[in-house]
Amino acid sequence: MKPGKVYPTALRAVEDVFDGAVVMLGGFGGPGLPQSLVKALIEQGARDLTFICNTCFEPKPDEHDVARLVDHGRVRKLITTFIGRPNQEMPALDLWRRGKIEIEMVPQGILAERMRAAATGLGGIFIPNGVGTVFEDGQEKRTFDGQEYILATPLKADFALIGAHQADPLGNLTYRLTQRNYNPTMAAAADVTIAEVRELVETGEIDPERVVTPGIYVDRLVVAERGI
Amino acid sequence: MAERLSRDLIALRVAAELRRGQVVNLGIGLPTLVANYVSRDRGITLHSENGVLGYGPHASDETQDPDLINARGEHTTLLPGGAVISHNDAFGIVRGGRLDVAVLGALQVSEKGGLANWLVPEKGLGSPGGALDMAAGAKRLIVITEHTNGGAPKILKECTYPLTVAHRVNLIVTDLAVMEVTPEGLVLKEIAPGWLVEAVRELTEATLIVSADLKEMDFGFPKEPPVEKVCSSAAEAVADVFDGAVILMDGFGGLGGMAHYLMLALRDQGAKELTVVGNTVGIARVSAFGAPPSPDLQAIDHSILVETGQIRRAIASFPVSPSPSRPSAFEGAYRRGEVEMELVPQGTLAERLRAGGYGVAAFYTPTGVGTVVAEGKEVREFNGREYLLERAIRGDFAFVRAHKADTLGNLVYRGTSRNFNAVMATAADITIAEVDEIVEPGELDPEAIITPGLFVKRIVQRPPGFSPFQPIVKE
Repeated sequence: MKPGKVYPTALRAVEDVFDGAVVMLGGFGGPGLPQSLVKALIEQGARDLTFICNTCFEPKPDEHDVARLVDHGRVRKLITTFIGRPNQEMPALDLWRRGKIEIEMVPQGILAERMRAAATGLGGIFIPNGVGTVFEDGQEKRTFDGQEYILATPLKADFALIGAHQADPLGNLTYRLTQRNYNPTMAAAADVTIAEVRELVETGEIDPERVVTPGIYVDRLVVAERGI
Repeated sequence: MAERLSRDLIALRVAAELRRGQVVNLGIGLPTLVANYVSRDRGITLHSENGVLGYGPHASDETQDPDLINARGEHTTLLPGGAVISHNDAFGIVRGGRLDVAVLGALQVSEKGGLANWLVPEKGLGSPGGALDMAAGAKRLIVITEHTNGGAPKILKECTYPLTVAHRVNLIVTDLAVMEVTPEGLVLKEIAPGWLVEAVRELTEATLIVSADLKEMDFGFPKEPPVEKVCSSAAEAVADVFDGAVILMDGFGGLGGMAHYLMLALRDQGAKELTVVGNTVGIARVSAFGAPPSPDLQAIDHSILVETGQIRRAIASFPVSPSPSRPSAFEGAYRRGEVEMELVPQGTLAERLRAGGYGVAAFYTPTGVGTVVAEGKEVREFNGREYLLERAIRGDFAFVRAHKADTLGNLVYRGTSRNFNAVMATAADITIAEVDEIVEPGELDPEAIITPGLFVKRIVQRPPGFSPFQPIVKE
């Protein structure tokens, strides 16, 4: 029999994250951020990771997010959209200046759509985002109906760590309010998707019309060790 | 010298630019204050990058929900009729041209409509966040900023910082003035109380063209009639369908998910030379999809529009009857050379519609490589695999079949009636929803809304006792 998707601990669920892996991390602010999985990854010890996530601010004492992993020296590269306002200084920026970390800044709409292209098996997409800015540098451009577009390429990952509200043992997921954010897109764009949920319910308990991430995208499930 | 306007007054002046029914995104900082003047009864939908549509005032300690934040990470509230969607959908809405107004702050803004607000070059690295996407995608871009930064002008001839967007700013509102970017240059339209043109010019690097009807800044809101989406009948909802229109309609061939009431109204309305885009072009009558409850009845499908000669062309994945002995009306017309047909694989059709709805011009898909579908299309290799370039599809109208709507146009579907309807709803200029029930805003669960109301222009309820079958008329 195929082993089930439900893992006893977050640490077991992230056991095989390897050095140099590309990892998507869901969440926008606190909602939808899988903090138990981040905590487990710190304990697990993988290094030289590339993280794809919306933001990287500074480590907060009460929150396990990517900034914590950066602080622990586990992150080699960040692909992200926001590391503070123009007048703000963040630790990642300092590390970048000292050459300790690579950072690729991406506008949010491009990031979301590139991950979605990977999720849906497209080879590339022509989108208008970034035209006329530094984000078109080095990119292939093409004109359709008089408007310029950039060829954006799919962005996939080895692992996606996502946070959700409820799961059933098949991996069907629901999100509460703004927990949803990037999570459904990331869930579909990685080879191995690991979901941390508040609550595990029986198969059939989730209204089929309310499932946002179907179980086919979810490989592993853990129940949050702390609030998410 | 007169006082400069307070931050609140600048925000109030920007709020007066917004119009009923608009979808609006507010950036971080000064733009955030505009939300204080967007009251619920103004009928404006505030859009947030992280997937909130229709957020309200900041949450108090009592009303705070840890799972509900805005793009600034603050706890917010949802107004009745609000919806929560994914980040990806939130940006699809912007790219797809559904965001009416973006209000952004500025480090620099130019007389040519350029905006720089994400990177101070000396820092080396900046955060684009969602600003570039909003600036490029919004139909109208309003910049709200203090006129100067510690005495240094921010309204320039050219931006020297890396751009957020080039040539897209429409209006600049500051603590001294309201300026419009026009092809002729930057026009000074309104000036803060007590200020003289020369004093404003001194604090502006850009060349100001003084409007012939220069006014003192006006903070009044326009009086506007409510936006009414609910139509009293399908006939009213389809009245403006014009000859030659492209109409997205179908669902998935069968009874669930097909807008029969709208289709009947279109037949009676009589528009001709139509292009229909759908999974099928009417096979319900001739397949198990439309099995009638009695032999003297048949399902309503596209055939009713084929028989009247209204359909000229179809773009579909399944236009041919599964039963050779029971050809569809469209097949017959095709064999007689009366109609044209473009065949599209089902997944490609869905993706082309999604591209149309979400502002993607074209995409490379592996589907169809090496088949007849690839004829005349670009083939390109990525990482050792071949892909076809497929273009977006948009419609003038979409006829969508949903289960319930609220009066703002938010839709939920039942069972498999979601199918193509949800994606078609995004991809037309005028989306008309046929529903079983219309409810008040707030009655649909915000997390269950599949099609946000901003996509839906008109709503019509199926009449009580409406049947998706009609009697067979013997010739």
